Amino acid sequence: MEEKDWEVSSSSDNEAGFPNDDDEEFHSGGSVPKLQFRVGSSKARWIAELGMAEVEVKRGKLWTTTGIIRSGKTYCFIEEALYLSEIGELQILGHEDDLVIPLKDLYEKMAEEKSGCSWDNYEVYRYLKGLGYILGRNGISWTLKDAAITRPNGEEESACAGECLEDKDTVTKLLGDMQICDAKAVFDVYLPNSRFKKSSPGEPSFVACFSGDSPPSKEDIKVLQKRIAAPLMFCHVAQGRASFFSFSSIDLPVLP
Amino acid sequence: MAPRWKWKGAEAKALAEPISKSVSELQRSLAETESSGTLSSCNVLLAVEPEQAELLDRCCFGRLVLSAEKIKKWIQLSFEEAFFLHYNLKCIKISLQGRCLENEVDTWLYMKSKRPNFPMFFKAYSHLRSKNWVLRSGLQYGVDFVAYRHHPSLVHSEYSVLVQSGDSDRLRVWSDIHCAVRLSGSVAKTLLTLYVNGNFKGESLNLPLCLENFTVEEQTISRWSPELSREDESTISKHVPNVSNLNTL
Repeated sequence: MEEKDWEVSSSSDNEAGFPNDDDEEFHSGGSVPKLQFRVGSSKARWIAELGMAEVEVKRGKLWTTTGIIRSGKTYCFIEEALYLSEIGELQILGHEDDLVIPLKDLYEKMAEEKSGCSWDNYEVYRYLKGLGYILGRNGISWTLKDAAITRPNGEEESACAGECLEDKDTVTKLLGDMQICDAKAVFDVYLPNSRFKKSSPGEPSFVACFSGDSPPSKEDIKVLQKRIAAPLMFCHVAQGRASFFSFSSIDLPVLP
Repeated sequence: MAPRWKWKGAEAKALAEPISKSVSELQRSLAETESSGTLSSCNVLLAVEPEQAELLDRCCFGRLVLSAEKIKKWIQLSFEEAFFLHYNLKCIKISLQGRCLENEVDTWLYMKSKRPNFPMFFKAYSHLRSKNWVLRSGLQYGVDFVAYRHHPSLVHSEYSVLVQSGDSDRLRVWSDIHCAVRLSGSVAKTLLTLYVNGNFKGESLNLPLCLENFTVEEQTISRWSPELSREDESTISKHVPNVSNLNTL
């Protein structure tokens, strides 16, 4: 059995007969990620009050690009927990006991939409993660020393005395947030990077935004652009496919 | 997207004969002969001398109507093209049913009555024409206009243009966006929307002067493919030309 990430194990014979001439269903080049379901090696405990899981056992390098650090502990959002569970890298344990929470229950938690991530958001998360991109929640630092963990459902985290920078950003963001906007910035997306560091991630390549059922209005794009320095990509998820569009203001030059 | 010149000397030729210069020549020539166009349904028919037909072609105004007549050439202009020559360049007169329309307002009202969204389209058209971009009908590509940096014989068009305003129904659902972007992309053009801001209702619209109160915002819409961009940050910032390239570690 070949041990490469994403290689199918020889025991799944049904892969052999899979039709692959329908290019609607497959990415170009036929490079569909084939998942290897190892028994989950990392473990995290779901904390209902937070809507997040606290990581207890870490296995593998994936933790350099997943989860946020608060006071030395690592926590992951619903989308991170769900994704890692889906690919067999993580087992989520119940709050009270050590029983593994099945995928079904995780999907239900996501459906409740109380943890800042909807199914559409998750489809984008999963798609980009599968391609090697690094994703974090927009507006939430990868790591904060001495800060307590708070609910990540779109509200700003409170900064502690030690992190003055965070205060200024928080106030600016709160003011920006007061403008009503139907579109939401959800994920900071970074290019695949084996030397990614949570302590200094740099600026994201773009911020993934969602405008819901309709394309973003001109006004919403302006509101978000004022608030966010990085390029914006608006995601449209339909039929299990994610498309990304950028809407950019330009000014064509006056020609000679 | 960088301009795609059609042959080796094309860019140099374009530099040597800027559009603005050709337009000035055209303006002088038409004014000298007091050329007059006749309104007919949604077009204006203009009789010109062969050299003038040449000039009109050089600036991409109108289509030649083929006829056996040798002394005069007949050019068919769209409302936008005709009104630009009449109102912005002031080099042609307009007549209706044999009578010359002395007042620009009369032409404006006629055109507006035939095409209710003429004011919005004309604002968009004149916005780019005033910057010396060449605009032609975009019907072949499912859009309103296509914009060229110079004459179509020298360069491929860079932008397919859709005109929008607060009232219009264009690009209101995602499938419209997918469709327009896909169409543009398949013909190697960037989709450009021209958003015309202004009050399109009310009395003020009865005067072409209302055009001065409209503004135009330009916006490109492009689709980004995550599979193609993993190695290269610049493919992302290429989609957002006004945002500077930010380096990640």
